[in-house]
Amino acid sequence: MRTRGTILLANIITGLALGFTVTNIGFGDYAELNRMFTFQDLRMFFSFAGAVGIIVCVFALLRVRRTPGRIHAGVIPGAVLFGTGWAISGGCPAIPIVQVASGYLPALVTLVGVAVGIGLCRWANARYFHLDRGSCGL
Amino acid sequence: MSTYWPWWAGAAGLALVTITYTLLTDRSFGVSSAWDRVLHWRSERRIERMDEEFADDRALADALAAATAEHFGTRPGSGSGSGVTTSPPVAYGKPQPLESDSEPTPSESPSAASLRPVPLVTQAALLVSIFLGGLIAAVASGRFQLRFDMGPGFKDLVTADPAAMIGLLFLGGVLVGFGTRLAGGCSSGHGLSGCGRLRPVSIVATAVFFGTAVAVSFLLWKVI
Repeated sequence: MRTRGTILLANIITGLALGFTVTNIGFGDYAELNRMFTFQDLRMFFSFAGAVGIIVCVFALLRVRRTPGRIHAGVIPGAVLFGTGWAISGGCPAIPIVQVASGYLPALVTLVGVAVGIGLCRWANARYFHLDRGSCGL
Repeated sequence: MSTYWPWWAGAAGLALVTITYTLLTDRSFGVSSAWDRVLHWRSERRIERMDEEFADDRALADALAAATAEHFGTRPGSGSGSGVTTSPPVAYGKPQPLESDSEPTPSESPSAASLRPVPLVTQAALLVSIFLGGLIAAVASGRFQLRFDMGPGFKDLVTADPAAMIGLLFLGGVLVGFGTRLAGGCSSGHGLSGCGRLRPVSIVATAVFFGTAVAVSFLLWKVI
């Protein structure tokens, strides 16, 4: 079991490294993002796919345990909504943060939207969907 | 202004982030989960306080065992007032085989404690650190510039009208927030951590959100 301090340190290191990396890859740049999604420039796509490939190999070598997860009724509709929002605003949940950090002040509106969307989802799930959504981790 | 990293440097960076986090914490990481927990900090704090009361697995198991023994009168001194018990004395205090003996050992399966969510404060630290990491990168590379638009890419492809921009950014943000929590993860949780562990749910979610983003981006580029 990891201590609270270890997890806090890990989150700080991870956050700094993630922010630094995605900013330098160009995920916060709307034009770069659109060029990836429209296959005009595959650099960022290869970055993402290459990272997944490396992670798969390293996790297999280190025998990292699998986390539970099942395909429930919310996965595909949720992913469609997320993909649509990502293409329109240029931000997955971490990206508007680095956009603001890069000086794009309107990305604060995206952050407010993300917060509203997360709150709406929790409310709608409790009231209507009743899905055991699980989580991507944490 | 410097150029962005080549693909292999980006791949190595993202992989290093994910692998380091997993090795340090023995967990997957996901930014949308962090957002969810920080935004609902009141209820999360309540859950954490309740969880802290049962933080010690062994103490909890002992307390439950004692309560069960008390209830069914199978503990020495808890029998009838005459002191006569219905079980042979040898059974007392001797560990009895339980069904859970067939369960995997702690080394094979994670303990309840390791499956508990990480402390709320660490999630807030993750989000703040992402901001600081992005700021350091933007300043160090000379790309930092305060601006009231989203750059020429957004202007050309989506809209140049400030009011429409605000509306679309808000709408996009709502869709991202709602969608990631409904799907149970985002590009970091499902895309990097989940796909890295070859979880079917993460592979499906990543394929769908990438596919949808491609379709909508083509619409923005070619049609709208």
